[in-house]
Amino acid sequence: MPKRTDLHSILIIGAGPIVIGQACEFDYSGTQACKVLREEGYRVILVNSNPATIMTDPEFADRTYIEPITPYFVGKIIERERPDALLPTMGGQTALNTAVALAEDGVLDTYGVELIGAKLEAIKKAENRELFQKTMREIGLETPRGNFVRSVDEAAAFAEKVGFPIIIRPSFTLGGTGGGTVFSAEEYHAKVGHALAASPIHETLVEESVIGWKEFELEVMRDLKDNVVIICSIENVDPMGVHTGDSITVAPAQTLTDKEYQFMRDAAKRIIRAIGVETGGSNIQFAVNPDDGRMLIIEMNPRVSRSSALASKATGFPIAKIAAKLSVGYTLDEIPNDITKKTPASFEPTIDYCVVKIPRWDFEKFKGVDDTLGVQMKSVGEAMAFGRTFKEALQKALRSLEQGRYGLGADGKDEFEIALLDDESKRRWRERVVNRLRQPKADNIFYLRYAIQLGMTVDELFEITKIDRWFLYNVQQIVEMEEELKEYELPSQKYPEGIPSAKIQGSKTFPDME
Amino acid sequence: MKAITRDILLKAKQFGFSDRQLARLWKTDEASIRRLRHERDVLPVFKTVDTCAAEFEANTPYHYSTYEIDSEVTITSRKKVIILGGGPNRIGQGIEFDYCCVHGVFALEEEGYETIMINCNPETVSTDYDQTDKLYFEPLTLEHVLDICEIEKPEGVIVSFGGQTPLKLAKSLEANGVKILGTSPDNIDVAEDRKRFGDLLKKLHVPHPKDGTATSLDEAKTIAASIGYPVLVRPSYVLGGRAMEIVYNPEALVGYMKAAVNVSPDHPILVDKFLEDAKEFDVDAVCDGTDVLIGGVLQHIEEAGIHSGDSACVLMPQAESVQVIEQLKDFTRKLALALDVRGLINVQCAEKNGIVYVLEVNPRASRTVPFVSKAMGVPLAKIAAKVMVGRTLKELGVPLDQAPKQIAVKEPVFPFGKFPKAKVFLGPEMRSTGEVMSIADTFGEAIAKAFIGAGGNLPVRGSVFISVNNNDKNYDLIEVAKGFRLLGFTIVATGGTSAFLKEHNIENTKVFKVNEGTPSVVDFIKRGDIHLLINTPLGEVSRFDELAIGSAALEAKLPIITTISAAAAAVKGIQWIRDQKSGVKSLQEYHLEVSSQ
Repeated sequence: MPKRTDLHSILIIGAGPIVIGQACEFDYSGTQACKVLREEGYRVILVNSNPATIMTDPEFADRTYIEPITPYFVGKIIERERPDALLPTMGGQTALNTAVALAEDGVLDTYGVELIGAKLEAIKKAENRELFQKTMREIGLETPRGNFVRSVDEAAAFAEKVGFPIIIRPSFTLGGTGGGTVFSAEEYHAKVGHALAASPIHETLVEESVIGWKEFELEVMRDLKDNVVIICSIENVDPMGVHTGDSITVAPAQTLTDKEYQFMRDAAKRIIRAIGVETGGSNIQFAVNPDDGRMLIIEMNPRVSRSSALASKATGFPIAKIAAKLSVGYTLDEIPNDITKKTPASFEPTIDYCVVKIPRWDFEKFKGVDDTLGVQMKSVGEAMAFGRTFKEALQKALRSLEQGRYGLGADGKDEFEIALLDDESKRRWRERVVNRLRQPKADNIFYLRYAIQLGMTVDELFEITKIDRWFLYNVQQIVEMEEELKEYELPSQKYPEGIPSAKIQGSKTFPDME
Repeated sequence: MKAITRDILLKAKQFGFSDRQLARLWKTDEASIRRLRHERDVLPVFKTVDTCAAEFEANTPYHYSTYEIDSEVTITSRKKVIILGGGPNRIGQGIEFDYCCVHGVFALEEEGYETIMINCNPETVSTDYDQTDKLYFEPLTLEHVLDICEIEKPEGVIVSFGGQTPLKLAKSLEANGVKILGTSPDNIDVAEDRKRFGDLLKKLHVPHPKDGTATSLDEAKTIAASIGYPVLVRPSYVLGGRAMEIVYNPEALVGYMKAAVNVSPDHPILVDKFLEDAKEFDVDAVCDGTDVLIGGVLQHIEEAGIHSGDSACVLMPQAESVQVIEQLKDFTRKLALALDVRGLINVQCAEKNGIVYVLEVNPRASRTVPFVSKAMGVPLAKIAAKVMVGRTLKELGVPLDQAPKQIAVKEPVFPFGKFPKAKVFLGPEMRSTGEVMSIADTFGEAIAKAFIGAGGNLPVRGSVFISVNNNDKNYDLIEVAKGFRLLGFTIVATGGTSAFLKEHNIENTKVFKVNEGTPSVVDFIKRGDIHLLINTPLGEVSRFDELAIGSAALEAKLPIITTISAAAAAVKGIQWIRDQKSGVKSLQEYHLEVSSQ
């Protein structure tokens, strides 16, 4: 199918200011979309209130509106510019919510604006959890048991049915604001109140907790000819209970059996079809029970997301760019892959390396806040690294974070040197480390290392953290390697002349670094 | 002990150990490990991210390092520049720096250079392989950057666009023979070193608030007494205003020194005179060594003491004398030339009683560069990048001092909704995650749109709560209160504020503070009887109220204004909303107006 010629001008909504849960990944997606659609000859109208974005540079759109992203002001822009279509999938939840409001208020109909990328019905099926659960049931897939409640009493009735822990997820909030996992009735009442207040529609999901299950994501794309490709699988090192944005994640998924992975792929295809995303990308989250492999569908984002930015960078497959092309009628087999130029976008990416992403938090700026990680995202940024193995990528990612760490410990920043501890200190440290690991916290990865140095086994650590044993074995191997390295010493402290010096222009010596 | 073999070195690198870690394990320094790797030929190879596991030929140079055989990177013979990105986003270093990096790339492409980006943040435009000639997705550490410099042999590296991250590498890169483009690392050091910077200001006769460096509590007390309270105290070498506080008396100073920091000769405390009630300004400029382009002068809406990243700003300063503005520009020009800046420079100033003080100079990309560029229609980062590779401002033909035609406002956004227990009151430590901009023909429209864009709802009627500290009980407050009354708002105020307003014939209802009785202000908020809060607490006593009022207001999603100047701006914004003159206009149309001037 060639591109649509009935459309001439397209309005793109950006994500607005950087907030926790919605960062510059949407500048990346929006910039790509603007670029591609203009290359295709469309008149691009953009609205975004964030001046620090590349996409709001006047060269990237025909008309750039630095106006508040609210239905009122976007409505004014529509009234003035009369675009043929609105692409709402590039600007995160902000853009999607605004587009839904404009559609429901009749503004889009009044001015004859077509939603492209995701239709209203598909957005609603994906975003409204009741509809989503129903759709999943219809295609034979399971979701966690849950109810939407609009009052504390309704919430209490649900809790009696399923017991604790329960996850609270307020509807239509960014990064899960107002949500959390609760373990007691007391806590539950307070948090449900908070969640209802946070939700713009005064509604929250209360859900059976799958805390401790393994968490996965698939990035999926579909076109008008019903071609579906899986771009990338992402596995969360931290199990369910920690927001994906706050988890260490790895691509591709490492711990699934082939059978489990194939089942997940098939499910993803069924989901994107059932939800009805026809021209674009989606992100689908899965939970897998580590004991029996039972798989649940957690949620789906019918738009470009933080994970799609990650998947694009991890694979080289530009999801936002391709999604923009799909939205104007191209099909996956018609779009060339811009890295190879030979293969079409309908070729699924293959990767022969490992990618690790680690979030970065800024808790020290907010005295008194709870730094335990949960279903509400708290990180303010992230770093990613490539390696041929998980171990290499993990250590590179840790030093990419720029928090003074140069890998998984052994960099002079550790809280203790194992060789210098006596038995009593070891016992006390072990206690501290175990207590620490019982709760997900920002730099628990370093505590896993301490635990292994202190003689804890992978099985013990799995019981405490529910982090898959495969990851724990990798941490163990890094620790063992460190021990092995300690058996070596430099041949001599001084080098004779004639050793190859730096290969940089003009450099004769290696002065002290940093 | 065994002697290190090539095998074990290679294996360590394959396990991802950095030279730093190995140096630590083998009790030597990073440079020696690097030398050892060269000697034993344990050097990284660069693989390609190609979507197809090398099954097809890749046209896009998008690389990562690893320790194997077969490097897949092609080194061209073109003249090239490496641009270092900003790494992971954090509060104080965000998307603004990515914007500058990407603009650097665009500019150098126009100048005929091969552009090479190094960055490790997957969220950014700079790590889009489509934007640069070559992308290395690597950690921004000396080891990884040098590894790339060694194979690429660039003409130079740009470190001043990505924020503190690449800047920190400047000296060690230069020491390893890498050419740093733009302002020299030594001149960057002049701007960052208190002593050298102080000397420079003295030489140029530029006023600077009194300051001192203390290595003990007693010394801190002596310094504070000699320069006079209030003083701004902070540990040396911290970024983003971390652990910075304004203290008003010796007791508070002792409290701060004991609670917040460990002072020692190795960890001195910086003590600065705090210019209370001063107005703050930011000037962004570009210098080529001969000429200085004044990009824009921003006035902070919040007064001195609030981190510049957390303060709302207006471009086209409001109600400011021409002399002050000219003085700001003049100091900026002087400093840029004295530091021999090649590229961007940001100067932070304060004005009190007609005297302009220079607080800080950053010879690098600042947070406000994208905002100023958009407000003025002048791509500062691009111009700066061209200057860095030797072009002059004259050659580029850009006007050196353009007057703004519209009013642009930058309004920060905060994550307080995510952190219910955090203090919502602003201070010298930056806590905003992002910002919005508005541009309009009047200040009222710009303020209103900035507020709305930042997610705050300005009420057009109802009741406004006012509780201010004693310093704020002045003429400005009266004007604000009158403004709200004229707009038909009722005023609810706590004891002292209420009495002060009554003294000046401003009708208001007294309300209890949280610990004074019921119904208290929090009850009013919960009942929905308050629609906007103006609260400027000061000192320890009000801390309890702060938290209670702050979280109640957050829960009710009410706008909280924490400075009188922002409240005055809000009055103008509400007036605009009420007048219903609202329209929208694109940046392209605004810029057309600027250039047709």
